[in-house]
Amino acid sequence: MSRKTFSRRALLTNGLKGVGAVTVGLPLLEEMMLTTAVGATVADVPVRAFNVFFGLGIPAPIQTEGFEGVLEPLQSLSDKLLIMQNVDQVRCDQSGINAHFDGASGAFTAEPPNGEAKSGGPSIDQLVRKAHYPDGMPAGMVPTLCAGTFFRRSRVSRYVHSYNEDGTVAATMQERPRDLFERVFGTIAVSGDENDAKERRLKRSVLDAVVGQYQFYTGQRSPLGKASRARVADHLDRIREFEQRAFEMERPPNTPEIPPRSIVAHGGQADPGGEGIDITLDELTTEWRLMADLYALAIQMDRVRFGAITFLAAGERVRLTGDYEYAGRKVYTFNDSAELSASGSAGCSHEWWHKFNPKKKNEQLRAHAHMKMREVAYFLHRLDETTEANGRSILENSLITISTESGDGRHNDVKRELSGVFHAISSANGRFKTGQIMDVGKEGIDVYNTMLTAMNSSNRLGPAERDSVAVDDIRA
Amino acid sequence: MITHARRFWPAFCMCIVWCGTNVRADEFPNDIARVSAGLQLLFEFPQNENGKLEDSARVGRPIWLTIESPDAVEHQPGQIELTRESILRSGEVTPRLLSAFKWTNEITIEAWVQPASAEQSGPARIFTLSRNGSQRNFTLGQDGDKYDVRLRTSGTSDNGIPSLSSKKGTAKTELTHIVYTRNRTGQATLFIDGKKNREKSIDGDFANWDDNHRFALGNEHSKDRPWLGTVHLIALYNRALADGEIGQNFRSGPNGKTELDSASAAAPKTDNEVLFEDKIARLFSQHCLECHDPSNRKGDLDLSVREAAFAGGESGPSIVPGNPADSLLVELIDSDDMPKDRDPLSDDQKELLREWISAGANWTISPIDPVVYAHDSGNHQTWVRRLTVPEYIATVQATVGVDISEEARHYLPHDLRADGFRNTAYNLNVDFKHVEAYARLAEIIVDRMDIPQFTKRFTKRLKFTDDEMGEFLSKMGKWVLRGPLNESEVIDYRGISTVVAGSGGDYNEAISRIIQAMLQSPRFIYRIENQIGDGSVWPVGGYELANRLSYILWGASPDLDLMDAVEQGGLYSREQIEEQVERMLKDPRIEDRSVQFIDQWLNLPSLKNLQPNPARFPNWGPELADDMQAETRAFFKEIVWHQERPLSDLLNAQVTFVTPRLAEHYRIPLDDANEGAADLDTLRRIDVSSLPSRGGLLTQGSVLTVGGDDASTVTRGLFVMHDLLRGVVNDPPPCVDTTPIPTKPGVTQRTVAEMRISNQACGGCHSRFEPLSFGLEKFDGLGTFKTVDEHGNVLREDGEILFPGTAQPVAFETSAELMDLLAESRRVHESITWKVVQFSLGRPVTAHDVPIIDKIHAEAERNGGTYKSLLRAIVLSDLVLKTRTEPLRSELIK
Repeated sequence: MSRKTFSRRALLTNGLKGVGAVTVGLPLLEEMMLTTAVGATVADVPVRAFNVFFGLGIPAPIQTEGFEGVLEPLQSLSDKLLIMQNVDQVRCDQSGINAHFDGASGAFTAEPPNGEAKSGGPSIDQLVRKAHYPDGMPAGMVPTLCAGTFFRRSRVSRYVHSYNEDGTVAATMQERPRDLFERVFGTIAVSGDENDAKERRLKRSVLDAVVGQYQFYTGQRSPLGKASRARVADHLDRIREFEQRAFEMERPPNTPEIPPRSIVAHGGQADPGGEGIDITLDELTTEWRLMADLYALAIQMDRVRFGAITFLAAGERVRLTGDYEYAGRKVYTFNDSAELSASGSAGCSHEWWHKFNPKKKNEQLRAHAHMKMREVAYFLHRLDETTEANGRSILENSLITISTESGDGRHNDVKRELSGVFHAISSANGRFKTGQIMDVGKEGIDVYNTMLTAMNSSNRLGPAERDSVAVDDIRA
Repeated sequence: MITHARRFWPAFCMCIVWCGTNVRADEFPNDIARVSAGLQLLFEFPQNENGKLEDSARVGRPIWLTIESPDAVEHQPGQIELTRESILRSGEVTPRLLSAFKWTNEITIEAWVQPASAEQSGPARIFTLSRNGSQRNFTLGQDGDKYDVRLRTSGTSDNGIPSLSSKKGTAKTELTHIVYTRNRTGQATLFIDGKKNREKSIDGDFANWDDNHRFALGNEHSKDRPWLGTVHLIALYNRALADGEIGQNFRSGPNGKTELDSASAAAPKTDNEVLFEDKIARLFSQHCLECHDPSNRKGDLDLSVREAAFAGGESGPSIVPGNPADSLLVELIDSDDMPKDRDPLSDDQKELLREWISAGANWTISPIDPVVYAHDSGNHQTWVRRLTVPEYIATVQATVGVDISEEARHYLPHDLRADGFRNTAYNLNVDFKHVEAYARLAEIIVDRMDIPQFTKRFTKRLKFTDDEMGEFLSKMGKWVLRGPLNESEVIDYRGISTVVAGSGGDYNEAISRIIQAMLQSPRFIYRIENQIGDGSVWPVGGYELANRLSYILWGASPDLDLMDAVEQGGLYSREQIEEQVERMLKDPRIEDRSVQFIDQWLNLPSLKNLQPNPARFPNWGPELADDMQAETRAFFKEIVWHQERPLSDLLNAQVTFVTPRLAEHYRIPLDDANEGAADLDTLRRIDVSSLPSRGGLLTQGSVLTVGGDDASTVTRGLFVMHDLLRGVVNDPPPCVDTTPIPTKPGVTQRTVAEMRISNQACGGCHSRFEPLSFGLEKFDGLGTFKTVDEHGNVLREDGEILFPGTAQPVAFETSAELMDLLAESRRVHESITWKVVQFSLGRPVTAHDVPIIDKIHAEAERNGGTYKSLLRAIVLSDLVLKTRTEPLRSELIK
């Protein structure tokens, strides 16, 4: 599938015919030019913190294989990451709930969920944000950006990974590349008003459902005859017009091209009752990479400094097909449903995690996990391609925390399930060690609180009465 | 409806006894009818025709099973025994079945069987709709001592796994009644001998049913899953029968009688009869009857009735059945001498005429009534009905309890009038303003709702999780959208809740947004029905019927009783439907709905637009327009609801309702006329029996104003002709100057009309309708009764009326006599029936409807000819109980 890459370079090349003109549409460009042009000191590099979530995790025994195993795609970034093994998230367990939910809620918060749509506490990025921008973000900046490519959505923490101090979601989830684009580069977004953005997103979701209904009644499965279908199709045309007028922004001069419409399922259709969807690897990665490009572009252009991005939800259910290649070799041919001899939820890649057996080859799980690392690495590389004033890349200057929901896909042992949850972090402008795979052997809450300390945040995760254990080994 | 027994069933077969079994065929009473509603396929095995067995469900085209190994099958009337491996299967795919089941996502599989052994397995296929051993839409099988049903849904494998099996020991070598039901919510239940045996949830819908699967009995298509035993009956329904209905079918026994429709049971029409009804009658109507009807009889030829047409006119017999060459009609048409002074017929039309005469010139409609074809192009099109503005308001009120009337009338564009009504489906189109309005109104409605209270009606488990939210959406959606949601719809709405949750919103916000989306759904804004089938007439589904009843009778969505009735299987038999209709007829909403009818028929809201010449009518004002509308509404309600009189009394009832202002305008003295200005707006009921000029709709300002300032005899005459007599006239030729000729001393409107009538170019048509207005001559353009016009000309009220289809006019001396003639006219009675039917259906009447309307009319007349009796007859007719489908995939239908 051919796709145009969104990059800062392309934007600057195509857009900057004159800075004066640019500022009309995108004041951020001016900021970006200054950031790039001025030989700044370390202090000029902004503090950033982002959480990167990938679904279903990597079983702890497989993590020990390092770059020889499924972590291979991270090898090219190995000197810029600290990969942590043996991080324990057992305290996030909630009785009767499997790790897809509570483990996912614990990622970046180290707390069990507090209800269906709230986490038990804030996420790392938000505490860092509060520490460094107690009075709010600079004008025109998106305070927090949440985005992702995901399909399982029965509970919020499966896919949202940035939370306010009260445990509520820190920003509206952008699930289409166009949504993200509009949030960051749209005229509404310039106001930075999160309530506007939320209202807009919710109205959009209502309209999406309405459009879905009209599409059904004009489609092949419609029970309507020819004349009736034409009438409903006419109605749908009017809705499209309404949609365009109500939601599609005017493109300010010198802004990037609006990304193409997404072709993968969104909204309710993305998660048909937990039964999973059929999707090709090409469709999945095209959508994700466009999302990753745009998210990275937003960071590169300093439109956002905090937030989270999700590549496949916790407990994700997709039936993936297609050849997976890496570094010129064919790693695997995905065909989940056929290999599992099942349709519906039982035919999804999710099942490979349930079937994990350390004594077996776990070929399919390995292939899926390897592919996920490739796609996480894709995003990280996009952050690594821009060098900032201090000579380091955005990846190096930012606190990028990568994690997932569990350290073992089998639900019959809570301790095992929530132990050894994969974590990796970047150096955050020299604050943390990189270039190694470390057997941390500590609780996630202590790791996170140590990270917060290093990020100059006085706030801590977890109950106040708890004695924190500093994990100084991770600090530079 | 008639009770239809097995047509070829010899009496001696009714007492078959299965020795040694615990269920005997002769133990069943023969007076319990089997359930027929929703029946899609029925094999009763009365006899085989050349090794083929016919499906006798009488729904669309029958499905035939071919016995492939006759030696292995013993067939007696009423049963078929498979003694050795065999297969009986259909030779073609079954688009009708697919469409029927995909739409409802419900199924009932029923069988009366007696297995040859309790050890057959595989499962051994009793009957199946499948392709091979691993791909099926459904299969009823026997697996050892259990029965097993595999049903493919979007939630199962292509093989219908997981299946639902009966308890151990249920499959025995005994006569057994097996019923499997699966409803939209996924609830699957197996009944053995009328009792619930096992149940299970089978999620998903039938969207993935394979179009190319075929029906087979006794084996799989791959012939490796044989079943041996005796089959007495197989039936399929496209709905999940209620428990009581399953008990009814069980008690009816293996030889039970099924109530089938009398219309479909009638002998099929010949091709020549169909040709006449579909093409030739239309051709005569549109090209010949203008001159050759009973009134004109040009050349002494009347082509509207069979006998007269065959007898011919001055030149001799016009039609010689079987011999087009000797038929004068063909000769004159071929030479383009006829139609005279009109465009010649096309070659195709000429050929059709020859074809019809060659094949015997069957003539099944007499007389041919031009109005039948006036709005019917012959191209069947079914338009989905958008809710009109009043229906939208009433539906919102009934669904969520919010009065949105003011805002809806403000934001929504007006519904435009077409074919005499504002609810004509094809004209209920949508423009951008509608979409904007529906979105805005949805926000307002939800803002006014008590969301937590509304939510409580459907769930107490306020959770965002799949199961809870899915169940809640199904329940609430069924109510708001007037029928069960399919899986895709639940998923769409589920998407909103996840976005709200993902944005930090709470449960109530999620529900608010979901309701907003539902209020903009096509399921809310339109009356969605299944229109796809095989091109034949099908019974409507339970929820569709509930909606038809409620919108026809109330102009609003079904109430809880009606929805529950469908859910519980209580809206299927005629008795059940009648019971609901009687209940609904007592609801006060029916009165408001009837006022919408009279408003639309007589276009009463247009009175507000009248702008008469102030120099001629200085006293006119909008208050008088309101008074006239109020008069007609009150009069209609008086006749229809308060006195419950026959509808024909609308033409001459000696009562009306006037304000003092209107009374003065009419020049009617009121006893209390001096009571003061404060009472000017109050309607008074007055007896007009002592006022010869008044009495009946045609003497009311609301109707009399149709003629404009000059009281046009053309417009008034056309109103009587079109709206009361169902007459048809062609438009004036394009070159004719239609500028009204002014009256002057010595020239009245009647004088001008008579000039047109005597004009050779105009008289043919004008003679038909202008005299119909002569009885109204003494009413001026705004309905005031006068004896002389503004020029001092003396006005008359005598005249003649020619009822369509008759040859001789009837004379009348006064306006009151004309009203009596109209009120007594069968043609007028029928016309009112047609109007109410059209309003009820939301579309113009077509030729296909006419035989049913005739029955409706007769039924209503038998019951007093009242509005209620007419509504009752309409909603219990095939126009409401059935629907004409469009072929699903024409290439698949042989």
